[in-house]
Amino acid sequence: MFSPTSKITTAQATIIIINYMLAAGVLTLPRTVTEQTQSPDGWISVLLGGVLAVIAGMIIAKLSQQYPKETFYEYSRHIVGKWLGHLISIVFITYFLALGAFEVRVMSEIVDFFLLEGTPSWAIIMTVLWIGLYSITQGLDPIARLFEMIFPITVIIFLTIALMSLGIFEINNLRPVLGDGIMPVLRGVKTTNLSFTCSEIMFILVAFMKKPKNAVKAVVIGTGVVTSFYMITMIMVIGALSVEGVVTRTWPGLDLMRSFEIPGLIFERFESFLLVIWIMQLFATFIITFYAASLGVSQVFKKKPLSCMFGLLPVIYILSCMPKNENDVFILGDTVSHIALYIFGALPILLLVISKWRKRGEK
Amino acid sequence: CWSSREIEDLGLTFAIAIDKGKETNTEKELKEEGGSYPKKDNITLTYQFVNEKAAGAGTSGGGGSGQGAQKAYINISETGDSLQQIGSEVALRRDREVFSPHLKVVVMSEDVLHTFPIDEMLDQFFRDNEIRLSCLVLSAKGEARDALQLKENGEIPAFRLIGLGENEHKVSRILPPMTLAKLIGKLHSGSSFLLQNVVAANGAVKYSGAAVINGKSKKMIGTLNEYETEGITWIRGEGKGGVVKSHDKKSQQTLAYDINKIKSRIQPIVKGKDISFHVDIESEGDLVENWNTKEALDTQFIDRLETTIENEVKKIVGQVLKKIQHDYKADVAGFDESFRLTYPHLWKRVKNNWDDTFSKADITYSVNVTITHFGTVKTQ
Repeated sequence: MFSPTSKITTAQATIIIINYMLAAGVLTLPRTVTEQTQSPDGWISVLLGGVLAVIAGMIIAKLSQQYPKETFYEYSRHIVGKWLGHLISIVFITYFLALGAFEVRVMSEIVDFFLLEGTPSWAIIMTVLWIGLYSITQGLDPIARLFEMIFPITVIIFLTIALMSLGIFEINNLRPVLGDGIMPVLRGVKTTNLSFTCSEIMFILVAFMKKPKNAVKAVVIGTGVVTSFYMITMIMVIGALSVEGVVTRTWPGLDLMRSFEIPGLIFERFESFLLVIWIMQLFATFIITFYAASLGVSQVFKKKPLSCMFGLLPVIYILSCMPKNENDVFILGDTVSHIALYIFGALPILLLVISKWRKRGEK
Repeated sequence: CWSSREIEDLGLTFAIAIDKGKETNTEKELKEEGGSYPKKDNITLTYQFVNEKAAGAGTSGGGGSGQGAQKAYINISETGDSLQQIGSEVALRRDREVFSPHLKVVVMSEDVLHTFPIDEMLDQFFRDNEIRLSCLVLSAKGEARDALQLKENGEIPAFRLIGLGENEHKVSRILPPMTLAKLIGKLHSGSSFLLQNVVAANGAVKYSGAAVINGKSKKMIGTLNEYETEGITWIRGEGKGGVVKSHDKKSQQTLAYDINKIKSRIQPIVKGKDISFHVDIESEGDLVENWNTKEALDTQFIDRLETTIENEVKKIVGQVLKKIQHDYKADVAGFDESFRLTYPHLWKRVKNNWDDTFSKADITYSVNVTITHFGTVKTQ
């Protein structure tokens, strides 16, 4: 079932990219970016971050297209040899595990704080892990179908609640545009990469696509959709809470929803809606990382996929329990995103060059 | 479920009043019986709970029970030095614990605002996961807990306080709602700001004027009265409605102008090191009351009325400007914002001492009023 027999369409690939990308960032991005920019121009940073993510994704997609029907774990040996290939694969696996653990932990933090105060976090994390395991055992196709259901719900709810917060929106909070020049914006770009770590999924996804040549298209559309989501979030949150306010809030995205009530509608409050779609998105990101890590272990060590999944379950659990408090959680997130920046920013170009060079040599 | 709590066991809190520490009689008696713990009596919190017995029996009428119809709310005061601890102490006195996700309004007494920085006082509210940021913050003259009293039965004072804020289209003496969400930004930007003030007497409440909070000390430094608050509305151009009353110069008769639209533009002018402002106010509205029934409603007469209204608005604006510039030295009228938007680079240099800069700036203003309709009285 791990051999790329179950194929996904281009649309499914796009949706997987979107769901993989949309994650913890919706709630924290306005703060992390604004902390760096100290100006209302964070949304431009997000836009630039999106462009960079597209470029990175395109490079990885191009690389993967060179080796049809093979995931990175398989084709890396063709480029850098067996041992180095294994080593890089293990780095990737570790990265996916860390990212998955981070998403699970953030979810448990939020659920514990805002929804189920008093429920032990192991109970929340366990539930997520087991359901995650259940949803990935049958390979990528069922995951894609699950995502196809999650995606429209996310879009509709997100756009509706974003629109509702217009009541407390103040345009002056977003002005002046580029009042401090372009430098703060560029500083902000750096911090957007946790939210835009998505392109690495193309190392694996392309092998499963019915039409691998559409990989770039999937990257562009997927990243475009996510970028606009994040830009809307940035603009609405800063418009409501102002630059000075945003930087002091742990979860500004959620605070936006807690900042207004609309009496007279069936529902007065909308934070639970945001939490619903957001938990779905975190779950989506988690199962993709879980799947990518299991796939890696299985292909590198030639083990049965199912045993890899069961084997990684406790690893993710322990990793997710490691941060002692909220600050540690965010440090984990920052570390993961910095590692991502280096290994997925620089490495693919290098690999692509080597690969082209080798192929030319073969001819 | 671990965290489930029956709604019957929760005390829904709609309002909290914060006063300087002064124990109530009940508290004193409890203390005499030994019911206390180590604390400083800095602040007194008054929680307003919904009275579930009265709220359930809304239509029963007649008042069959001994003490007649009940109030729809119960206020409980508790004194201490930590807001969170005071809240948990209430749980020792009431079988229903404090449950504040439905908290609508926080009222702080002027005394508290004078003594404690508002950001320290509200930290627990900002940090808490139960309290929503949509909660409104008000200041109160005298005891804040008095604003949580109503003479009428069947109504909850918290909702009255919220409802008053929604009358912006009728009166220009209401400030835009300052919710916790909006307060966060204000407190961290270091700019001075206003809190809507309420006054209470004999179970009646009224929105009246505003408390001026200094951006640096975060403490209250003075008040604006209703008239001056209206001036702030004119300068900011944020009014949605309201009335300007004046007297016709020639006939000395009362006339009233109903505001439909206020537009204002604060224009910062920088010349060398000098910073000055020009405020350009434009308004459109209707003539709704005119006691001068002798004169014909011709263009000449309308012009005269417009000038009269303009002068009145100038008087209002002038008075509040004098007060905030010279008495309080605090920019609460949004001059900082227009300066920040026009001169973003210069702003970085002046923002730390903005209130000082503002108090020395020359401010000129012009008012242009247009009367568009004259009501249903055609000729006089």
